[in-house]
Amino acid sequence: MSATLKRSTNATLEVEGLRVSFGGMEAVRGIDLSVERGETHCLVGESGCGKSASALAIMGLLPGGARRSVRRLGFAGDEIGKLSERRMARLRGDRIGMIFQDPMTSLNPAYTIGSQMTEVLRRHRGLARDKAAERAVAMLDRVGVTAPGMRLGQFPHQLSGGLRQRVMIAMALLCEPTLLIADEPTTALDVTVQAQTLRLLAELQRELGLAVLLITHDLGVVARVAHRVSVMYAGEIVEQATTEALFAAPTHPYTRGLLDAIPVPGKVRRGDKLGSIPGIVPRIPAGFVGCAFRDRCAFAEPVCASNIPPQFASPDHAYRCRMAPDWWRATA
Amino acid sequence: MNAAIETVGLHRVFDQRQGLFGPQAHVVAVDDINLKIAPGRALGIVGESGCGKSTLARVLLGLLPPSDGTVRVDGQNLANMDRRERAKLIQPVFQDPMSSLNPRRRVNDLIGLPLMVQGIRGGEQQRRVAKMLERVGLSPETGTRYPAQLSGGQRQRVAIARALVNQPRILVCDEPTSALDVSVQAQILNLLGDLRAEFDLTLVFISHNLAVVEHIADELAVMYLGRIVEHGPSEDVFRAPQHPYTRALLASVLTPEPGLGLPEVPLGEGYPDPSNIPPGCRFHPRCPIAIDRCRTEPPARRAVECHLAA
Repeated sequence: MSATLKRSTNATLEVEGLRVSFGGMEAVRGIDLSVERGETHCLVGESGCGKSASALAIMGLLPGGARRSVRRLGFAGDEIGKLSERRMARLRGDRIGMIFQDPMTSLNPAYTIGSQMTEVLRRHRGLARDKAAERAVAMLDRVGVTAPGMRLGQFPHQLSGGLRQRVMIAMALLCEPTLLIADEPTTALDVTVQAQTLRLLAELQRELGLAVLLITHDLGVVARVAHRVSVMYAGEIVEQATTEALFAAPTHPYTRGLLDAIPVPGKVRRGDKLGSIPGIVPRIPAGFVGCAFRDRCAFAEPVCASNIPPQFASPDHAYRCRMAPDWWRATA
Repeated sequence: MNAAIETVGLHRVFDQRQGLFGPQAHVVAVDDINLKIAPGRALGIVGESGCGKSTLARVLLGLLPPSDGTVRVDGQNLANMDRRERAKLIQPVFQDPMSSLNPRRRVNDLIGLPLMVQGIRGGEQQRRVAKMLERVGLSPETGTRYPAQLSGGQRQRVAIARALVNQPRILVCDEPTSALDVSVQAQILNLLGDLRAEFDLTLVFISHNLAVVEHIADELAVMYLGRIVEHGPSEDVFRAPQHPYTRALLASVLTPEPGLGLPEVPLGEGYPDPSNIPPGCRFHPRCPIAIDRCRTEPPARRAVECHLAA
């Protein structure tokens, strides 16, 4: 949708017309987004909406059997959509850092923290073992891991979930990347540890001027950390705006439904019903036309079965629905 | 009137060996819990991973024997009941229905099994299964499917139908919506709310998500390292949390309100370890307001277990 939301051209990450399909099913159906230096762009949606497939596609890490096509994939001014796997591998872990949900599956259980961290530096930076270890200790210290020297000799299972995620963050930032792609980085953590981890990420982002693409299902996380938000549904971005604009005037019926479904402490009275969206997320076959939300939408009309162009609620706020920008004010 | 559930001096300890030849560790998961839930009330239990809330659920359900103390359900000692009596009174709903529903049975059989155990078969069983399916919002066709053919929300509806088909008095839900998307979570919470009124259920609702618990619970118990450190009416605990741990938990909840930024969580990095419970107040290593007394002297056993709470 950012083809229509024109932004400055020096964005760290620019994605236009990204598509991913698995077999005959379309997981990502032509999304546009950009992330600038120092900015956090959140890609939010429910399971199966294509948010993780989008992140993997951008990093060139889709599993075999998936097909990707992209009109433009710009990273720091270069087109990386056509790069060979070898050259992409050189970018990943170096100028593009990655963090995934469960550090227990992305850290190798058979190697110490130290050997996994120094491998990154030896491989991408050609550092000698002792120099690499020195840098790893400094980085662990920076992300608030206590007794960093001792941690190098420990195995992932010896650390708590929060510590493991800090180690992942430290690893992702070892080579001072310009872009960080984080897929549900705090979803497996306890609430107190989640808040601490997100604070740490925000601090590091300011310090390093990182562009962050954050994938999450949690609109609470979005509200607190994002500068810009893209709401995904069934492989499409259905609404894209600055965080203030999105929460002040959520316009797509799906976005509104999602927000109504969240219990907020102190806001909902016991016994009150939560808003809920009937039905389940559909699977989208190739050649699907129209709004994918129409079967679950209370405002669907026959016209929703045809192609819906994006509209603007404000210059910084696009959405893909037939309804007028302020339709919801009448029903609220 | 009897309490629906009452626990007296409830303990559950696990002995774990650290590695093959390592020392024996004594994990105190539930440490002297005294609870009383009046019939028809909903008690929410919150706490972080490892605090013992799921162990407590399993002890309340009679799935784990307590190491010490008793659980009384409807006035009767749970330890003296046989499985069939217990199943008529108290039923569970777990987080992941994929691991609690037999994947080789059709939905109709899954919901029918508790009836069969109580000797209800044939047409009567079919009729009650069909009624229950409809009541939890599933189509009759769903009854002929296998769990793997259902969505997460549908599976959780099946689990709820199976739990309620014998009309138990008490439902123990352990993270029933944690594996679900928010829109589906809302459907399930609304359904539980309706069924609770309709079946006149007493509810124990365990979750790490405070907002979800607030939505459903009349009373709230906050667990930390095996103990309930704060217990009171939900409104009071949410409006004016007394224990510093409750305050930290509430402060950590990220509500969808932009502009508030990220909260500062006044807890140290120390991670609670149930095999090594600190002396004095068990929360003192992470407590932002701990004084010397907290390090040596355990707080009095009351609704708010903190030396410094009013």
